[in-house]
Amino acid sequence: MLTAEGLTLGGRLRDVSLHLEAGLMVAVVGPNGAGKSTLLQVLAGLLQAQGRILWNGRELSRIPFLERGRTLTWLGQESHAEFAFPVREVVAQGRHAWGDDRQGVDEALAILDIAYLADRPITQLSGGERRRVFLARALATGAPLQLWDEPTASLDVRHGLEVLKLARRLADQGTTLLVSLHDLRTALCFDRVLVLDRGSMVGFGPPEAVLTPELIHTVFRVQARKAEALTLELPS
Amino acid sequence: MKGRTLGATAGLSLLLLAAILASLALGDANLKPMEVLQALAGRGDDLARTIVWDIRLPRTLVGIAVGAGLAASGVAMQAFFRNALASPGLLGVSAGGALGAVAALALGGAAASIWTVPGASILGAFLATGAVVLLARRGAGPEHLLLRGVALNAIFGAGTSFLLALSAGQFQVSGQILFWLMGGIENRTWEHVWIGLPPILLGCALMLPLGRPMNLLSLGEPSAQSLGVDVRRLRWQLIGLSTVLTALATAVGGVVGFVGLVVPHLLRLGFGPDHRRLLPLSMLGGAALVLLCDLPTRFLPGGMRLGVMTALLGGPFLLWMLRRNPC
Repeated sequence: MLTAEGLTLGGRLRDVSLHLEAGLMVAVVGPNGAGKSTLLQVLAGLLQAQGRILWNGRELSRIPFLERGRTLTWLGQESHAEFAFPVREVVAQGRHAWGDDRQGVDEALAILDIAYLADRPITQLSGGERRRVFLARALATGAPLQLWDEPTASLDVRHGLEVLKLARRLADQGTTLLVSLHDLRTALCFDRVLVLDRGSMVGFGPPEAVLTPELIHTVFRVQARKAEALTLELPS
Repeated sequence: MKGRTLGATAGLSLLLLAAILASLALGDANLKPMEVLQALAGRGDDLARTIVWDIRLPRTLVGIAVGAGLAASGVAMQAFFRNALASPGLLGVSAGGALGAVAALALGGAAASIWTVPGASILGAFLATGAVVLLARRGAGPEHLLLRGVALNAIFGAGTSFLLALSAGQFQVSGQILFWLMGGIENRTWEHVWIGLPPILLGCALMLPLGRPMNLLSLGEPSAQSLGVDVRRLRWQLIGLSTVLTALATAVGGVVGFVGLVVPHLLRLGFGPDHRRLLPLSMLGGAALVLLCDLPTRFLPGGMRLGVMTALLGGPFLLWMLRRNPC
């Protein structure tokens, strides 16, 4: 259970409060510069902001680093790698906080469809493949709070859908996920949508209640219209 | 990979042993390996014992300390800056150490005590790190530290040049300064060994357990922190240990460049970037490289000093690296 109260950071985040039950899949949307990445970093304890963050009633900043590494994980947008670590080693880093026990590493490689890359150096992979490697590392942590910053940004259609399916599976198992996104249509399949605009939370709730044409027009300055469109799904 | 690591460790250990033996055997009076071993055991003739124990063993041990310390320091810097081109000279620590030592030499400190020049060098290096720390206190990232290092390097370099110019009339002093700036491990005594070797070995030992968190750090600071690493603490540990190691190595060996850059980089190419392997391998490799570069200086004309040898090897190597991986 995640509670945030009055999160404020310069002009980047203004008085954001939220309360999430376990097992919820939350889409964080908003225009560029709205504060999506900042919110995820603050929740991950990577940026210090005013306000309080409680995880199951405990103040997050008081949880020691290793324990925090078992509690939450953050997946950033950057997927640059300078050193040529093999993919399997990068994914195994997800077990650092567990004493490097390597549990679930092979499973994470398989789920993200990168088992065939396991021995390749990460520096030789494409942007999308690296993204999947870092997602696998986040998955391998087994952390009950997953904060993913635009995880599908550089992925092809199928792998993008796979990631959403994975998020749903994790949520069904009790993991809480906050996922920043740009595609509002994707946000519709989340349990909750959190809309940020210029650092303030301007909407939070079930997607159909929050993502109204009026709000979309105000925040994103685009016209929303319901229409029959091409739908893309994973084969069952 | 495990077999390869064992093979690499064994290979580098053998190389280091061979370098140690050569370093003890070769020089103005060449000794046979058997004579070296006998002298080490306290047997054999007096002259061989004197050469080995009083002249060559201190030189060899100081070489090991300088090489291992600089290479370990380079590994730490490269993980810290997430850049394979980072090296101990970067933050201005070497330049600070050099300025301290040059100031001591210019003031005639070499005659006062054997501890004066190394002591001044360590003091200079720590003052340089102190300056970096003060300047970078407000949550500066690696890029900021790096730019401050550039500025400090320029300031300390100017100070060194000034003192060198001031001493130009005093041939003995300016000669000492030039020799020191070119780096070298000849004429080392057991005092130099005690100043350099134990603390450098201790520093290396303290760095070894940081290999795993260094792996995480080298793929990004925020993600390392979210995976459970106390990044702030680790960064200070790395910068602190690498400063101490560079300072001590410079204190007993003068300015010896490129060891911290070349050794980790080559070993990374051969055996991968895992710092748990890279750290011990670099310590072995750095020690071997310094000893091997020191050997020709005993036979070549006087100007071919250790620092000149490592720079002659390291400069082209750096250009080759930049060609392979333009940044």
